Amino acid sequence: MTTGIATASPSTSTDVPRPAPAAPRPRRRRRRWPRTVLPPLVTFALLAVLWEWVATVQASVLPRLPDVATALAEEPDLFLSNLGYTLGSAALGFVIGVSVALVLAVLVVHVPLLHAAIMPVAVLIHATPVLAIAPALIVAFGFGKLPHVLIVALITFFPMLINAIAGLRSVSTELLDVFRSMAAGRMEVFWQLRLPSSLPFLFAAGKTCATLAIIGAIVSEFTGSVEGIGAVIITSTKYLDLPQMWAAIFLSAFVSLLCLGAVGLAERLVVRWR
Amino acid sequence: MATRTSPTPTPTLPAAVPAPLPPPPSDDACIRVRGVSRSFPGRGSDVLVLDGVDLTVPQGSFVTLFGPSGCGKTTLLRILAGLQTQDEGEVRLFGQTPGQAAKDKNIAWIPQSSALLPWAGARRNADLSRRVNRRAGRRDADRRAPGDPVAVLGEMGLAGSVDLLPHQLSGGMRQRVSLARGFVQSAPLMLMDEPFSALDELTREGLRYQLLDTWERHRRTVVFVTHSATEAVLLSDTVVVMSARPGRISTVIDVDLPRPRPAGIDASPEFHRTVARLRAAVDAGRTA
Repeated sequence: MTTGIATASPSTSTDVPRPAPAAPRPRRRRRRWPRTVLPPLVTFALLAVLWEWVATVQASVLPRLPDVATALAEEPDLFLSNLGYTLGSAALGFVIGVSVALVLAVLVVHVPLLHAAIMPVAVLIHATPVLAIAPALIVAFGFGKLPHVLIVALITFFPMLINAIAGLRSVSTELLDVFRSMAAGRMEVFWQLRLPSSLPFLFAAGKTCATLAIIGAIVSEFTGSVEGIGAVIITSTKYLDLPQMWAAIFLSAFVSLLCLGAVGLAERLVVRWR
Repeated sequence: MATRTSPTPTPTLPAAVPAPLPPPPSDDACIRVRGVSRSFPGRGSDVLVLDGVDLTVPQGSFVTLFGPSGCGKTTLLRILAGLQTQDEGEVRLFGQTPGQAAKDKNIAWIPQSSALLPWAGARRNADLSRRVNRRAGRRDADRRAPGDPVAVLGEMGLAGSVDLLPHQLSGGMRQRVSLARGFVQSAPLMLMDEPFSALDELTREGLRYQLLDTWERHRRTVVFVTHSATEAVLLSDTVVVMSARPGRISTVIDVDLPRPRPAGIDASPEFHRTVARLRAAVDAGRTA
C-alpha cells in the first residue's frame, strides 16, 4: 500500500479532505446557546404577559395561566388517561396510513400504470376535509376507537404517499446507470439504491404526518366521543371550563411537539450523510 | 515510479507514419462494433446520432472516443455498456453482447459525475460490485475475483480516507473513489464517460496521471470519452475521432508515445505534434 501513497498524483497535496466539522463544535455551541435560547424565551414571556392582560381584562376570552396550571395539577389522571387514548389512536392510525402509503408508493414506482389508477383516488381522499368525514365514519363504525384510527390513517396517508413516490424516484440517473451496467436485480436496486435515497423524503413526510396524526385524532374525537383529549376539550367547552379546556389544548400542542421531535431524532440517527 | 519526475526521454517517431497494422484479432480478444446506427426522435424527423459505426478495440488497449459535442460518442459508449441499444448493427465485447457482458459483470461503467452512494463510505462504495448482482459474482468466483477495495483506494492515494463519506471528500477524491470502484470490479472492459469533465483544471491533471498509473498496474481494456485533446493524447493508445451529424468515425489516430507515460510528457514536442494532428483531424471532420 505504501507504493500507492508514495506515487500519489501531483494534486494530492492540494486535494486534502474537507476539514472535519466535528472538533470545534462544542465550544461554539456553548457560545451560541444564549443566542438560540434567549430570543424565543423572551418572545414567550411577552406573549404570556399579553395573555395575562387579556385574561384579567376579559375573563370570558382567556383563562389566567395559573388557573390553567392548577387545572392540570388537580386532575392529572383525567388528562393522562385521555391523552393516552388520543395518542393510541394517533399512533395506530399513523402506522396504518404510513404503511399503506409506503406499499402503494413502491407499487406505483415499479408499475407506472398504477400511478394513473391510484393518484386520483389519493387526491380525492386528500381533498376531503377530515371534519366532514369524521361524523360519517362514527356512524359507520360506532363509538369505539376504529373511526379515530381511520381518520388518522386517512389524514397521514397522502403526504406520505406523495413524498415516498418522489423519494423513490429521486435516485440519481448516473448511479442507476452504474447499477444497470452491473445488471443489478430490481430488488438490489430497491434495497441498495431507491430506499436509502428516499429516506430524507420519508422523514420529511414523517414530520408532517406526526403532527397531522395528533390533529386527526383530536378532531375525530370532537364528534360523539367520550374519551380522548378532543372529548375533554368539547366537554369543558360545554361547561365553559376555560382552564380545563386550555390545559387540554396546551397538552396536545406539547405532545404534538414531542412527536415531531421524536421523528426528527430518528432522522438524525438514520440520515447521517447530509 | 521515478520516471514520473524525470524529464521526458521521448523517442521522436515521425508522426505521419502510421503504426503497422496488427493481424485482426479474433472476436474473443477484442471489442468489435459493426455497422452500428442509432437515431433519436427529434423535432419533426428523427436525428441520426450514429451512422454505420465500425470499430475494433484490441484487448488491453486504451482507446478514446473524441469529437465535438453531438457526435454520438457518449451514445456509442452507452451502447457498448448495454445502457442503450442500437437500431442496427452488431456489438461484441470479447465475444459477448453488451447484455450478456453486463450480466457477467464484465463491464465497469465510470460515469461523468462520481455517482457514489452518499450513505456509504469510500471503501463500501469502491466495493459496490461485490454487493450487486451476486449471482454473477458466484458464477465467476474462480475465474475473476473482485479486487481488494482498500488496496485499490491506496493505489489511488486514498489510503487515509477509506472510511469517509462522499460529502467529506473533495470532488477529485470522489472521482478517484469512482475510478477505484471500476478497478475493484475487475471487469475486463472499463467504459469511462468524461469522468474528469466536472473537475477543475489542476485536479483534472492530477487525476489523469493517477488513472495512467492505476491503468498500467491493471491493464484493462478501456474505452474513454473526452472533450479534451490533451487528455485524449496523454491517456490513449488510439484516439477515435468522430464527426457530428450524423455521428461517424472520421479518423483513427495512433498515439506513438512510450508506456508508461512519464510525468511532463505533455510538454514534449512529440506530444504537441500528436495533439495538433488530432485537432486537425477534428477540423477536417467538421468541414467534410
